[in-house]
Amino acid sequence: MKTALLLSLVLLVAVAGPLAAGEIHGHVTAKGLRTSADAVVYVDQIAGKSFPAPAAHALMDQKDLQFQPHVLPVLVGTTVDFLNSDAVLHNVFSPDKCADRFNLGSWPQGHKKSYTFKKPCIAALLCNVHPEMEGFILALPTPYFAVTDASGAYDIKGVPDGAYTVKVWHPKLKSVSQQVTVSGSTEASFELTK
Amino acid sequence: MKAKISVSTRATVWGVTAAMGLLLALAAASPAHAVPVFARKYHTSCQTCHTVFPKLNPFGEAFRLLGYRMPGETEEQVKEAPVSLGAEAYKRVWPKAVYPGDLPGVVPLAINVKMADIYASSHDESGNQITHNDFQFPQEANIFSAGTLGEHFSFFGEFTFAETPDGGSETEIEHAQLHVNSPFGPPHLINFKIGKFSPDLEDRFQEMWLMTNNGVDTLFDYNPIGVNGGTGLEEDVGISLPALVKGIEMYGIAHHRLFYTVGVTNGLGPGPNDTADGNSSKDIYARVDYKFGGMGLDGDTTGVDLPPENWRENSFRLGLLGYDGDGSGIDFPVEGEDGLALNIQDRRYQRYGVFGSWIWKDLNVFGVALHGTDTLRVNDASGIEISESKPSYDTWFVQADYVIRPPFQVSLRYEDLKPGDQSAPDVRFLNANFTYLMRANIKTMLEYRRDLEESQNYEIAAVLRFAY
Repeated sequence: MKTALLLSLVLLVAVAGPLAAGEIHGHVTAKGLRTSADAVVYVDQIAGKSFPAPAAHALMDQKDLQFQPHVLPVLVGTTVDFLNSDAVLHNVFSPDKCADRFNLGSWPQGHKKSYTFKKPCIAALLCNVHPEMEGFILALPTPYFAVTDASGAYDIKGVPDGAYTVKVWHPKLKSVSQQVTVSGSTEASFELTK
Repeated sequence: MKAKISVSTRATVWGVTAAMGLLLALAAASPAHAVPVFARKYHTSCQTCHTVFPKLNPFGEAFRLLGYRMPGETEEQVKEAPVSLGAEAYKRVWPKAVYPGDLPGVVPLAINVKMADIYASSHDESGNQITHNDFQFPQEANIFSAGTLGEHFSFFGEFTFAETPDGGSETEIEHAQLHVNSPFGPPHLINFKIGKFSPDLEDRFQEMWLMTNNGVDTLFDYNPIGVNGGTGLEEDVGISLPALVKGIEMYGIAHHRLFYTVGVTNGLGPGPNDTADGNSSKDIYARVDYKFGGMGLDGDTTGVDLPPENWRENSFRLGLLGYDGDGSGIDFPVEGEDGLALNIQDRRYQRYGVFGSWIWKDLNVFGVALHGTDTLRVNDASGIEISESKPSYDTWFVQADYVIRPPFQVSLRYEDLKPGDQSAPDVRFLNANFTYLMRANIKTMLEYRRDLEESQNYEIAAVLRFAY
């Protein structure tokens, strides 16, 4: 009897966990652009909820004279490692106040430097050695975010059921936001314009 | 029975038939201004912007006036992505860093080749007919370069090689211009152009924008210099209207339909001290237009119902134009009636006119009426003034272009000039053209030009042009 009860309890917990977490998926259309890639879809601040900063660092690489990835969303409090994978010197700085207009200097191939994004921020990344290089880091209030692929598709997993403000940011187009009620697998699509 | 003119006496005959020689000279090397660079940039056909190159359709006119950009251009439309010279965020770093811009993604060069068979007929003083049939293969070749340099700059260049009869070539930088597009103020209202260019004073009727092989010679090649005023046409003597200028121009579009331009330019030249300007004074010009109906001059189509055929619309464009120049100190040597060596200065020359263009479906009728005055001072060889006069002249033209079907288009033009010298005969031309657009970038033309005063003089040109 006790074993059966225990087994039932384990089963209940095992099943209840996944049933309480849904996902948001859909498409973002970036009007007038060659692709719909690099839009960041994210769940905005949830009242009364905070998320601890992850211990693991995120990575922004400088490779083939490009910031890779072009757009990197992270949770506020995340430390980002900036790696130089090229055989030339690179630099990373940001002109944005929310990122303290940091300038990490220059470093050679294989080396990295770090910066912790302590507050919500949309930071442009520039290299003063190669002015055409540009990347973006979004320090977001929740861990529920995704970046669209070339077709504009995105999928945010592990979002608990509930009502949220979902925002979409793009490097070249106007941001939009929408109220989304998540119940299991939930579809939400967006159109961005200039 | 008329005597045949042998080849060996051709040089002598040409000396007699000055009017025919002039016609031939004027038929040579006319500018060619379709730019396949844009076809490559946007992966689009020449027909997007041209009815028959180089004549622009309403969309092409907007493209040109917007600094070689499509109205409401999106990144998606530009198939050859530009090369970034600085990330967008550098705008916020300036002036701690250079303001960002970009370069064309493909090398912005295009070639145009023109070949012509010119058949000319005239009569000498004895009434003998002289004919001449000349293969001008090629007549000229042009290298074009055009495009944008970021948001606020664009450029246009043309380098021309004109084949001379002896197989040599004359070269000219016909256009070398940098545009500054909407550096401040509302979009499209304020733009600047600097360099050597066809002034927008002559938008739609300078030969770079005509579908015909011949330009409007009575408008651009009238020679105002003469003891009693100008007597007729002669290239590169004095200024009637300058086909090309070296100067600075400001131009723009207000409320989609009002166009203006003002410019300052070198004027007469070159000067005696290796200067392009013959004196220290500058010429000025201005024009203002309004377009009723059709697509807006900036490509705006709000509230306009346009047919799918992109050369068609119902519109009327009316403009006023003026040019004011100072030729003081620039001598034109002439021979007086008694053989005396004289110099004439065109101390002030003014041109005022009106431009109109009506597009109704497949038909485009347009023209200019121009009144000119010249203050001519006649000096003797030592520079002492003999006389001063202010002759005036009047010239006008009307041209009708018609799209029979997109590959087949025709044009008919009448030109009329009453020279400043009252004793000189009027100059009148009829110019008829049939164009077959074999491909969007290959055309053949048959053009007939007749001197209506010397009515026995005419010329037929068969022209082949291709661009890539």
